[in-house]
Amino acid sequence: MRARLERLGFIPPLVVVFTLLLLPVVIVVVTSLTTQQSPAIPYDGLTLEWYVELTQDRQIVSAIQTSVVVGVFASVLAGIMGTVTAFGLVRSEIRFKESLATVMLLPIMISPVIIGIAILRFGSSIGVPTGYPMIILAHSVLTFPFVFLIVRARLLTFDARLEDASRTLGANGLETAFNVTLPIVAPSIVAGMLLAFVISFGEFTATQFLTGVGTDTVPIYIYTQIQTGLSPVISALATALVALMIVTSYLGDRIT
Amino acid sequence: MRTVKISDSFLPSSVRKRVTPRTLVGIGVLWLTLCFIVPIVFLLYESLNFGEGHLLANYEQALAWTYINVLGRTFVYALVTTILTLILGYLTAYYIAFKSSRPMVLLALVLLPLWVAIIIRFFGVRLFFLQSGPVQQLFGTDFGILFSRNGVVLGLISALLPFAVLPMYNSLRAIDDDLINASRTLGAGQFQTLRSVILPLSFSGIVAATLFVFILAAGSYLAPSIMGGPANNMMANIIADTQSYSIPLASAMAVVFTGLLLILVGLFNHFANVSEVLGDL
Repeated sequence: MRARLERLGFIPPLVVVFTLLLLPVVIVVVTSLTTQQSPAIPYDGLTLEWYVELTQDRQIVSAIQTSVVVGVFASVLAGIMGTVTAFGLVRSEIRFKESLATVMLLPIMISPVIIGIAILRFGSSIGVPTGYPMIILAHSVLTFPFVFLIVRARLLTFDARLEDASRTLGANGLETAFNVTLPIVAPSIVAGMLLAFVISFGEFTATQFLTGVGTDTVPIYIYTQIQTGLSPVISALATALVALMIVTSYLGDRIT
Repeated sequence: MRTVKISDSFLPSSVRKRVTPRTLVGIGVLWLTLCFIVPIVFLLYESLNFGEGHLLANYEQALAWTYINVLGRTFVYALVTTILTLILGYLTAYYIAFKSSRPMVLLALVLLPLWVAIIIRFFGVRLFFLQSGPVQQLFGTDFGILFSRNGVVLGLISALLPFAVLPMYNSLRAIDDDLINASRTLGAGQFQTLRSVILPLSFSGIVAATLFVFILAAGSYLAPSIMGGPANNMMANIIADTQSYSIPLASAMAVVFTGLLLILVGLFNHFANVSEVLGDL
């Protein structure tokens, strides 16, 4: 009896928490089906016309293309750099190892507004053009710590004796790396890169300073539309994005 | 799986000897320095005044009353958000860790929003309170949430809750059940057990959650610009606005703001190792 009463006491805060967490996403999905001209709850019938409009809007299609290109390049770059750094830091005996690991996490701690402006200013002073090059660089910096953390966590629990065994059995260093080490660590590298892709796909704050002509990403497009006027197309676009990201996260889960 | 065979002569031994873990660290550090640290330092350089007047003239301006005001507002919003998010998050983490019959489902629901772009989640919160949204349709008012301080804080709590629940849940799960049982057996009540066993043992999770939520809230650009009005702008918004007419002033503000935040992170580092704490994520 007391235990049940105790559990009842948790219900109000839990309702608040899960409402705050999930309702914003749910309402975006629901309003994408409205028959009205603004994103409202569809009381009187459902329609998929906003999804049709989505595929016909050239600006949206171009924004999706940009976001995919940026996401792929940024996650590959972050994947390589995050993995290389994690390997190096875990396997080497250097001084200030812990402090160096903290420095690697600075891109999470400094506001993306400041990172965006910094990369814009320095990049343009050395001649890096805005648009793809700058956005990809910025996104790889912003997502690098996540790959680093995920791969490092895997390496810290790695049984180094497996590599010793491989070497003892006659494989050389490269063979050991490809046949033993990589297959064990690969799932965490892929998981890190998928996370990097998802973060890149949703990044707005730093990106707003770095876009060039014709390289607006999806979040930039959504932000402009939110500020100017609201059409249910935005809800449809956001819903499509939510679906894409959840599929990606599911894939990541399956791999690891 | 197929075994890859590579002959010893594939890479010349001079290359093989040179690629050590140290080299790998070097590559990573070089890349991060070039793409991140140098640009940030460049901002520091741009904040200095080499023209007429004082070298630190831009800082005088950046520390003028209006900006100190925004800085204060930023920290107050971040603090309020952190306190509320921690309370709600701790209750949730506690419930999932000890009381729930389906902990994995609840945890998945907490983590799900992390996969949804933050701009979409703010958009959802705003839709909820807009004229066409359910709150105004039902009650005829948005309860003063849209374009106000309350809206900004509400948006931030909604966006940052997963970052609070996750580390606190991890630290609660790590508590040995035997310790809790021992406390009970020795006659401690529910509350006493919570206060003298569970709370101290989940301290690292609480520290991690505080750090995450505070840093992310303080640096947020989207929450004020989507949920707030002009009077609710935080540092990120002011820096972004200033950037469009005065780079040196914006740089000086960025340096002041980042400096203060890093000092806070440093203080945290004193209590808990930040890189270990962030590894919890």
